[in-house]
Amino acid sequence: MKLLTKTTLYFLLIMLPVFTAGAFYLYTEFNQEIKYETDEELVNDKLQWMRYLDTASVNNPVFSIKTPEFNLHPTNDAAQQTHHLKGVNIYQEPENTYAPFRQLSQVIRLHNKNYELVLRKSLIEKDDLVKNIIHVMLAAFGGLLLFVLLSNWLISKSVWKPFYRSLDKIQKLQLNKLDATVFEPAATHEFKRLNTALSAMTSRIHNDYTSIKELTEDAAHEMQTPLAIAQSKLELLLQDDTLSETQLNSILTSYDELQRLSRLNHNLLLLAKIENQQYPLTEQPDLCTVVEKYLLLFEELIKEKELHIHKEITATAPWPLHPALTDILVSNLLGNAIKYNYPQGSITIQLTPEAFTITNTSHLPEIPANVLFQRFKKHNNGYTNSNGLGLAIVKKMADSYHFHLTYYYANDQHTFRVSR
Amino acid sequence: MKVLIIEDEPALRASIQEYLEHQGYICELAADFPQAIDKVNEFDYDCIVADIGLPKGSGLEVVKELKLLESKAGIIIISAKDSLEDKLNGLELGADDYLTKPFHLSELNARVNAILRRKNFDGNTTVNFQEITIKPASKTVLVHHKSLTLTGKEYQLLLYFIANQHRVVTKSALAGHLWGDEYDQAGSYDFIYTHIKNLRKKMLEAGGEDYIKTVYGTGYRFG
Repeated sequence: MKLLTKTTLYFLLIMLPVFTAGAFYLYTEFNQEIKYETDEELVNDKLQWMRYLDTASVNNPVFSIKTPEFNLHPTNDAAQQTHHLKGVNIYQEPENTYAPFRQLSQVIRLHNKNYELVLRKSLIEKDDLVKNIIHVMLAAFGGLLLFVLLSNWLISKSVWKPFYRSLDKIQKLQLNKLDATVFEPAATHEFKRLNTALSAMTSRIHNDYTSIKELTEDAAHEMQTPLAIAQSKLELLLQDDTLSETQLNSILTSYDELQRLSRLNHNLLLLAKIENQQYPLTEQPDLCTVVEKYLLLFEELIKEKELHIHKEITATAPWPLHPALTDILVSNLLGNAIKYNYPQGSITIQLTPEAFTITNTSHLPEIPANVLFQRFKKHNNGYTNSNGLGLAIVKKMADSYHFHLTYYYANDQHTFRVSR
Repeated sequence: MKVLIIEDEPALRASIQEYLEHQGYICELAADFPQAIDKVNEFDYDCIVADIGLPKGSGLEVVKELKLLESKAGIIIISAKDSLEDKLNGLELGADDYLTKPFHLSELNARVNAILRRKNFDGNTTVNFQEITIKPASKTVLVHHKSLTLTGKEYQLLLYFIANQHRVVTKSALAGHLWGDEYDQAGSYDFIYTHIKNLRKKMLEAGGEDYIKTVYGTGYRFG
């Protein structure tokens, strides 16, 4: 939910009881005022009537008048000095309801006779009053709502603009382009602080990132030199004719392990480089060419294992990936499909401009999803020529360059699918 | 054949020197950038093996200097950096080849060999070993003057063996030479054996001697 929507909602939620209380207050106030005014009128009426009755008593009649508003009839009660005022409900025939009235009653003495005088005045009906007040309040509330929405829209258009601009920038942030990100100073104090903080943060992250990147690269490169020295010394040592078979084997093992170490180092560096997006998208190499190239390169391995290759390849499939990475993508997946296959097994390669799918037969069981792309997770035994990084590299590539890598297993067939 | 080795790591420099000298090259050494510049200005070399990361300068600058001097020397860059840009940079400046550390000495030697063959004789030369004659220009192989039909891989193998004659060449070096860096992607080195077996068979059938010796499962030695 947008911040403004939220604040608006809260505002309205707060306004609702305020308006209800206001309506209630208005209602009681109005009610009181009307009662007071009516009572005043009743008293006034009483005085008028008394004056009139006093003068109208020439023939000494006995008054008995009974109307809803004016009631005068003889009584035996003692005369009263003051009038009584109260509210009563009188039945209204046309509407079949009771309507509120104010009533003034007093026993008065006229020509030596006691009369009870009852004067009534209809009040504005309470229902109507409530209805009117609610209408007014609703109109006010609606007007306020409209006003709030409109002003919020205007505010979000102008006041929040720098915030949304900064937000857009953060969303589009790329680690390797951090130094190019500038949060221009905003006029609003809070946003100014936010942008200053963001700028400081990005420059700090950029510095950290650069130093880590350099450290990784330097470390990897520095390691290659001692490896090269050790490997060269061992290669020279292998030339010695006087060595026994066991000695030669030890040297060879060390030699091979050094190479493995160097490959490992190379692959870790590659992973770091892909993660840091150090392979810019400058061109779109044709994946078909790459696939054909590696099929040719691995031709002998395929022949040796007597693997059947099924190809369903479109004419061209340009992929937005650095050429070095397309090579690695294809060689890792195809290499795995060959390496973990059994003799006379099969490999199916499907290539469309949208997806690259490679399916191979294998005696190996399904790879559990949770370890599938983990580094150094070897899904097999007996294949020493694996460093457990091949799939991790492909996965990292997919994550960094926004395509999907999926794996599924059915009928003893392993399938890896890379799609855009 | 004179080779200049420009490498700041003394141990690696010594290894390269030992291997190349054993194969019959005369080696001179430079340990840093000024030394390298002095040497290339003073002497003519047939081939220069240059590390990129040098004290007081870059191997790429040495390449530039060589081009300025219009040197005919073949240039192989060796670098710990395995980035495409570096590689392209080096080759653009005029280097003939690029090798990433760590490398097999036998591979370096084979590359020096190939460059010298191309440079000095414009490719119109023959490689001879006893009764074997190879004409690289036409990729033909003669044994006792009789033409031998080899596959591409077998031909590459033979050239590699002759370049590294009398030395133990490991299977991984052979695999790396024949299939490039990706060879480790696809599993074992066993398939090398098939090629060696075929090459050996063809050579024997042509009346040649069996020069390919298996060394205790370590690798092979030719000659």
